[in-house]
Amino acid sequence: MKARWHFIMAPSLILSLFLLLASQIIFLRGGFFKDLRLGRSGTDLTWENYVRFFSDNIYVDSLVLTIEVSAAVALLTLCLSYPVAYIIARMRSRWSLLLIAAIVAASFITIVIKVLGLIIIFSSGGALNRALLALGVVSKPLTIMGQPGGVVVGLMHFTMGFAVLLLYGVIRTIPASLEDAATIHGAPRWRVFWRVIIPLSLPGVIVTALIVFNLCMGAFTSAALIGAGKVYTLPVLIQQTVIFQTRYGMGATISAVLMAVTLLINLLSLLVVTRLAVARRLTA
Amino acid sequence: MTRFGSRTVRGLVGAAWVTGVYLFLFAPLVVVVGASFDGGERTFLNFPPSDLSLHWYGRIAPDLFHALGLSLIIGISAALLSCLLGVPAALGLVRSQFPGKGVVAALFRAPLQIPAVVIGVSFLKLYYFVGDWIGFYAVGSIPGLVVAHTFLASPYVIGSVTAVLQRFNTRLEEAALSLGASRWRAFRRVTLPVIMPGVFTGAMYAFLVSFGDVPVSLFLGAAEAQPFAAKIFHLMEFDFDPSLLAIATLIIFGSLGLIYLLQRAVGMEALVRSGGGG
Repeated sequence: MKARWHFIMAPSLILSLFLLLASQIIFLRGGFFKDLRLGRSGTDLTWENYVRFFSDNIYVDSLVLTIEVSAAVALLTLCLSYPVAYIIARMRSRWSLLLIAAIVAASFITIVIKVLGLIIIFSSGGALNRALLALGVVSKPLTIMGQPGGVVVGLMHFTMGFAVLLLYGVIRTIPASLEDAATIHGAPRWRVFWRVIIPLSLPGVIVTALIVFNLCMGAFTSAALIGAGKVYTLPVLIQQTVIFQTRYGMGATISAVLMAVTLLINLLSLLVVTRLAVARRLTA
Repeated sequence: MTRFGSRTVRGLVGAAWVTGVYLFLFAPLVVVVGASFDGGERTFLNFPPSDLSLHWYGRIAPDLFHALGLSLIIGISAALLSCLLGVPAALGLVRSQFPGKGVVAALFRAPLQIPAVVIGVSFLKLYYFVGDWIGFYAVGSIPGLVVAHTFLASPYVIGSVTAVLQRFNTRLEEAALSLGASRWRAFRRVTLPVIMPGVFTGAMYAFLVSFGDVPVSLFLGAAEAQPFAAKIFHLMEFDFDPSLLAIATLIIFGSLGLIYLLQRAVGMEALVRSGGGG
C-alpha cells in the first residue's frame, strides 16, 4: 500500500487557503468601495480609490520612494553580503559555522531592538557623532531619523542577515574544485572570480536581490520608527490610512497597488534576466 | 608584488570586509546592551556607559513584563500550531507527486510574499467579518493574534522541515515497514526522529517571528492585549524611557540563549541549513 501523503497535507492546505483567500478577498474587495466617515464604506463598486491613488502626489511619491529605497537597500545589501558569504562558504575551519550561526542569531532578533540601537548610535550627543565632529568629518551631527537614507540603513539591518544566509547557500553549491581547475590553468584570481564564480552564482544572486527587495517593499517597523513621521513608504502609509484615518478602502487600494507593483517588478527582472542569459548563450 | 604578497593582501582585505559587516550587524545590539548599564539619572541615552549600574533594570514597568508574558504565550502557541500545520504540509509537498504541486507550494509560501502590514489589516477585516456571523470578535484577543501569527510564521516550519525531508532516505522507512512495523509506527519511530531537528528549528524561527512581529500586532492587539514588540514600538514612538534598554537587553540575551540551546539540541548544521525560512 502506498501512503497517500497528499491526503495528510489536505487539512493544512484547506486551512492555509481559507485564511489566505478569505482575508485577502474581504480586504482587497474593500478597495472598490468609497470610504465614508468613521470607517464605514459606500455600497457602490467604484474605481475611485484607484483613480485617487494615481492622481494624488502623496500616493505616487510614496510609491516611487518605496521603490527607490528598496532598490538601494537591495543593491547595498548585496554588495556588502556577497564577499562575506563567499569568504565564509570557502572557509575550511569550524569557525565558518560559528560565523553563520551568529548571522542566524542576529537575523532573528526583533528589528525593534536593532532600531533602538541605531537611534543610540546616531544620537546627536552619541559617541559616533562626537568623534566625527571632533575629527571634522561632519559639520553637524549625522542623523538617521526622518531621513530616507536612515530608513535605508535600518532596512539593511533588517535584510542583511537573510542575504548572507541565502548567498552562503548559493555559493556552497558551487564546487571549489571548479575554481582550482581555473587557477591551475593559469587564470588570475580576479578572472576566476569574474568568469567562474560570478556567472555560476548569478541566478542565486538575482533571487536573493529580489527577496531583499520584496522584504523592503513590505517592511513596516524600521521604516515607521526611523522615518519618524517624515518618510512615508507605502507600508507606513497603509498603517496611517487605516489606523488614523480609518479609511479601509484607501488602505486596501494602497495595499493592492503595493503588491501588484512588487510582483510586476519581480516578473520584469526575471524576464530581463532570462533574456540576457539566452542572449549570452546564443552569442557565446 | 609577489604571489605570496598578493595572497596576504587579499586575506587582509577579506578579513577586514567580514569584520566590517559583522560590526555593522552587531553594533546596534552591543550598544543597547552597553547603554542599559549606564547608571546616569538622565533621559537621553549614553553609550559607552559612563558609570556602570543596574539602575534601569529595577525600573522596568510591570506592564512590560505583562506584555512579555503575553508574547511568550502567543509565540509558543503560534509555534506549536505552525508545526501542526507545517509538518504535514512539508510531508505532502516532498513525498507526493500531483499536478499543480508548484502552485500548492507557492500557496504555502504566500504569507512571506504579503507585506506584514497587509496581513495585519486583512486579518482585522476578516475577524470583523467572521465576528458579524458568529458573534465572537477575535480582534484584541489572544486567539486572534495566535491565528494571524501562525499564518505569518508557518512558512518557516514548512521551509525547515522540507529541507530535512529532502535529504531523508525513504528506504529507512521502507525497511521498517518490511520488517512488519505499521505505517504509523514506522513514521513515529523512524521518520519523526530524523525530521525532528527541522521541526525544532522551524518552531524556533516561528516563535521568533511571532515574538518580533510589530505590524500584525498593531492591528490585532488591544490596549489590554498588546504583545511585547508592539508595545516597545509604541513606547519608542511616543514615550521613551531608558528602562526600555534594560528589557531589550534581556530579550537579546533570551534570543541568543534560545538559539544556543537549539544549537546544542540539533547541531549547528541543522540550524544553519534550514535558516532563512527556506
